[in-house]
Amino acid sequence: MQTSGKIDPITLAVVRGALETAQREMTLTLEKTGRSSVFNLAHDYSNALFDHHPEMILQGQDIPIHLGSLIPAMKAVAEYFGDDIHEGDVIYHNDPAYKGSHILDCCMYKPVFYHGELVFWAVCKGHLTDIGGPVPAGYNPAATEIYAEGLRIPPVKLWDQGRRREDVVNLLLTNMRARRDQEGDLNAQFGACRVGERNLIALLDKYGVATVRAAIAELKDMADRHMRTLIRSIPDGEYAGEAVLEDAGHGHGELTIRTKVTVKDDQVHIQVQSPPQVPYFINSYAGNSMSGIYLGLMMFAQVPPPYNEGLYRCVTVDLGPEGTLCNAKEPAPHVNCTTTPMETLTDAVRKAFEAAAPDRVTASWGHASGVNIAGIDPRTGEQYVTMVLASIISGAGATREMDGWHACGPLCCFGALSSGDIELLEYAYPIVIHRYGLSTDSGGAGQMRGGSGTVWEVEPLGHEMTVIAFGEGRQIPTMGASGARDVMIEPKLGRLEVDGEDARIYRQNTITTIKQGERARNINPGGGGFGHPFKRPVDAVVNDVRNGLVSREAARIEYGVVLKDNSLIVDLAQTEQLRAVCC
Amino acid sequence: MNYKYRLGIDAGGTFTDFVLAEHSGAVHLFKSPSTPDDGTRAIHAGLTQISNAMGRSIPELIQECDLCINGTTVALNALIEHKGVKVGLLCTDGHEDSIEIRLGHKEEGYRYDASYPPAPMLVPRHLRKPVRGRVLADGSVHTPLNEDDIMAAIEYFRRQEVEAVAISFVWSVRHPEHEARAKALVEQHLPGVFACTGSEVHPQVREYTRTSTTVVNAYLSPVMAKYVRRIDQYFKELGAKSPVRYFQSNGGLATGRIMQERAVNAINSGPASAPQAGLYIAQPFGIDNVITVDMGGTSFDITLAKGGQTNLNHDIDFLRYRIGVPMIQVETLGAGGGSIAHINTFGMLEVGPQSAGATPGPACYGKGGENPTVTDANLALGYLRPNAVLGGTIVLDEQKARRAIQTGVAEPLGISIERAAYGISTIVNLNMANGIRRVSIERGYDPRDFALICAGGATGMHITALAEELGVETVLVPKLASCMCAFGQVISDVKYNFLASSPMRLSASSPLEELNRLFDEMEQKGRAQLADDGIGAERVRVSRSLEMRYVGQIHECRVDIGPGRITPERIHELLDAFHRRHEALFTYSEPGSAVELVNLESTVTGLVDKPSLPSLAASASDVSDALESYRDMLFDDQGTVVSAPVYMGEKLAAGHTVTGPAVIEEPTTTLVIRPGWQATLHESGCYRVTHWAG
Repeated sequence: MQTSGKIDPITLAVVRGALETAQREMTLTLEKTGRSSVFNLAHDYSNALFDHHPEMILQGQDIPIHLGSLIPAMKAVAEYFGDDIHEGDVIYHNDPAYKGSHILDCCMYKPVFYHGELVFWAVCKGHLTDIGGPVPAGYNPAATEIYAEGLRIPPVKLWDQGRRREDVVNLLLTNMRARRDQEGDLNAQFGACRVGERNLIALLDKYGVATVRAAIAELKDMADRHMRTLIRSIPDGEYAGEAVLEDAGHGHGELTIRTKVTVKDDQVHIQVQSPPQVPYFINSYAGNSMSGIYLGLMMFAQVPPPYNEGLYRCVTVDLGPEGTLCNAKEPAPHVNCTTTPMETLTDAVRKAFEAAAPDRVTASWGHASGVNIAGIDPRTGEQYVTMVLASIISGAGATREMDGWHACGPLCCFGALSSGDIELLEYAYPIVIHRYGLSTDSGGAGQMRGGSGTVWEVEPLGHEMTVIAFGEGRQIPTMGASGARDVMIEPKLGRLEVDGEDARIYRQNTITTIKQGERARNINPGGGGFGHPFKRPVDAVVNDVRNGLVSREAARIEYGVVLKDNSLIVDLAQTEQLRAVCC
Repeated sequence: MNYKYRLGIDAGGTFTDFVLAEHSGAVHLFKSPSTPDDGTRAIHAGLTQISNAMGRSIPELIQECDLCINGTTVALNALIEHKGVKVGLLCTDGHEDSIEIRLGHKEEGYRYDASYPPAPMLVPRHLRKPVRGRVLADGSVHTPLNEDDIMAAIEYFRRQEVEAVAISFVWSVRHPEHEARAKALVEQHLPGVFACTGSEVHPQVREYTRTSTTVVNAYLSPVMAKYVRRIDQYFKELGAKSPVRYFQSNGGLATGRIMQERAVNAINSGPASAPQAGLYIAQPFGIDNVITVDMGGTSFDITLAKGGQTNLNHDIDFLRYRIGVPMIQVETLGAGGGSIAHINTFGMLEVGPQSAGATPGPACYGKGGENPTVTDANLALGYLRPNAVLGGTIVLDEQKARRAIQTGVAEPLGISIERAAYGISTIVNLNMANGIRRVSIERGYDPRDFALICAGGATGMHITALAEELGVETVLVPKLASCMCAFGQVISDVKYNFLASSPMRLSASSPLEELNRLFDEMEQKGRAQLADDGIGAERVRVSRSLEMRYVGQIHECRVDIGPGRITPERIHELLDAFHRRHEALFTYSEPGSAVELVNLESTVTGLVDKPSLPSLAASASDVSDALESYRDMLFDDQGTVVSAPVYMGEKLAAGHTVTGPAVIEEPTTTLVIRPGWQATLHESGCYRVTHWAG
């Protein structure tokens, strides 16, 4: 592929490298200086660079939840201030009404000026551990309105022409718990934006505004051409997809999200149809929904870095009428939206692309289904509460080329998350973790097998512990692709099991008390399979049985592979007979 | 005991480098092709060369060496090629999968890649056997050890013909007895099978890191043991006075006795001597902030030393496997002479990380390579001498280089060969400069406060461009650049790191005696090992550090502490040191917050005399005596041809200055001096390259 000739190809590659370095150094700053574990352990943040339009010119490979929402959010913020944007300004924002994702994701925008001219924006978005409101950490299942969830921050200047507005910063921090942590994270974001700015100015010093702008225009054009080539490879037509959001205990029943993908030549239009919004925190405002759409698209496009807005130039999106689940409006509560319904929307988009290009789309990944734990630590008498990241590590979807990764999800994080070491958890909290392992038969059956989900089993030590179970994939298994087919559904579902005198199983959002001597076991879903399981090579199935990833029963029922009693020797005749039935 | 020499042998993937350092100061370099199947063949070939050059028989030479030091990539290569031994893992029931779960993380750069597979498991799941028996965070036993589980696993391992057993239980750092018992059972019932435990290999909190480190060690140690036994035997037969020392990733030496049970400690030993070597080279110039860069055929290694101190990494993913043991911090990029230039899916020029390797190698090698590489670009730019002979057999073919650049880069981009070649060079320089910035900025350092030290045969052609890109003002290029790692090894000390774990909130009322006991224990072990190595007590140095963090934090800060007992009176000193370190690293501290201790480390070093650097004589001759010819070269992206002088390094004398644009050719390295730079040869055999106001 030849470049358009407007810009020297070597300069182009150099500018690309400089932008990547600027973005990476922003990430580094945040990771090293961030105060909360959400920043420095879970990496729940994203850094991006925008040009003067403002269009996104580079996004890092952080959490996909942030992939799409930054694009409309930046535009909404720039539009809000219009011509009142000056050198030395720093803008802060989280409000979904201005295309933010959810209010815990607070985003800082620093315009970068060069000789008085606005050239770039350095943008840093991160999940704060608290945003005020009635429930610590922001997830309030009782909220029926966004006003009951926490502090909404419409676009507001924290620095005004170089002067920090202590009154505004104080207003924000006064409304948050653990003020010192939040202030630390806010400073980390400011540091990241400044590091980005410093790098961008060095780039402009070297090449000048005109050359850098030409290079950036070309980078966006290249991404555009690449995506158009991919879209053009799909036959023109309308392709439908849908995914069902299970009732996690909110009582609004199952909610179906439908998508229609229309491909015409090198353009694609994505239409979403979702039910009316509900008074429960699973509504998604437009900004967050764009993330779901783009992640679904990426599961088809599988584009390597770098990522810029040019990729989406040939993509138009209609989220459906305002006031629906995927295009919520005030006062819809929304804090759970970055996982639910975002993952369901992603699946619906992915399914439509699967209809369009059956061989090329990655199968679905396990959705987030995990636990928070809380209690009084008998060693100190202090209260503790934490989200157990290990409990949401689900299986990845299989692809045409390979089995899904084990323990790599959930879908909304796509492998970017990192759970803490079990010894660190046992040291910090009065618990013993009896199991953190792969879950047998949890991976979707397919020619390529879905990755296994994980089991996380905990016993409280010397106290009673509150377990808050949340999530999805506890009633409907992860969707496979391209002819994959599950028969044994039960082991593929997420759930919370409690052992002890009062043994019980939960498949809905719940809050329950675990007594001393009892154990709570969270199981999350595996990834979807790819292709018909009877096409899986017999050797591969035998190997999975040897490794305990697939049971002997599942080998027979799902894969049509029969093993002679208690051995790994294949009964060829029976296997052939079983496999002949289908294909 | 009057030894004349010290011998360093660095066995790399392509060449084995030899440094023979005379205690009087002269340093001799030799190279011979590596023989991965049996390292002693390459060593014998090299020693034959040395013997001829020095006019002494091989046994005479070896007997006149105080130390023979070997850096080897045996463990590294076995890991890269997945050719370790068959390993079984005994682990705590319920935690069989931690090495496969990897904390749930997938590496950056492959987020949406549908064909990027997980790292192959060094122990497949069916060989990871659960053992009941559980210790809690406070070291108490929640469930007693179940020996039936161990025996059942041993039986399975026997049937499966396992060659090594890794044993790693949860909280073994607090209660190593369960692992010790399991190891005793394995040794009793599986004679000849290598066994190691987490609490021996990496006694630090963090189950995943410890288990993974133990597994890697079990996977590689039998391979290493085989190698070590052969080398030890070879040198013993030559009459070596002292056991061969092997170079470890922590930058120190160890005997074969240690190495064969701790192969994981040698896994990245190749570049680990670079920072020490860099400091040594820089010493005569009064410089102690150095970034040593080493460009080889396929990769580019960056190490940093600040204020004379090297940096250790403790918990990193190495070749996709989590390894906890201390290693000199090395950033490795896929940027070398063999890195291939290509046009990516977006239509952009990229260089690397794919490499043409040694075979087929760059197009100009004429060994069938058709892809344009960095070496091809250097030839087309005039930096390398056309028809130069490499390693006695390879003749650099400029036409083949130009053709490959034409087809692979110039035509697709619609530009001239010259601009394409310059572009390839620019991109690879940018990749390397970005890597250097990462290494320095990540630790809060400005690369402009450092001198760049040139190591490796290919680096000299890029070093002034790198300095320009980074704003670095001083570059040091030793004549021995291409054998820098072997040189670093001969100036290294014997060094053992000991780790222990004792999580506690730190205050005057903490159980500090426990810390004193752990330090004493580690240091006694270290002194005993050094005594076995023949190092006298007067040459032993001990340094200590603590890993601390604010309660609630995830990452610890390592703080160096002084010697002596830890007493309640000293607590403030330790806490202050932690607050200061936190502030230096992360811009702030919280003197009012509670601090907890996690891990302890003791480094026990046995000092070894260093050979001195050579001293070149000044000369009345003129620089022009070393002028060999003029060659057409390119130094900008416009394709401007400059006729630049080429000097023979061997004819230059101390004090001579060469002004760029120019090239200095040394027997094993080529130094390109860009316009605006000049190189002055120092009496220590090192070029100091700086800006000049021309």
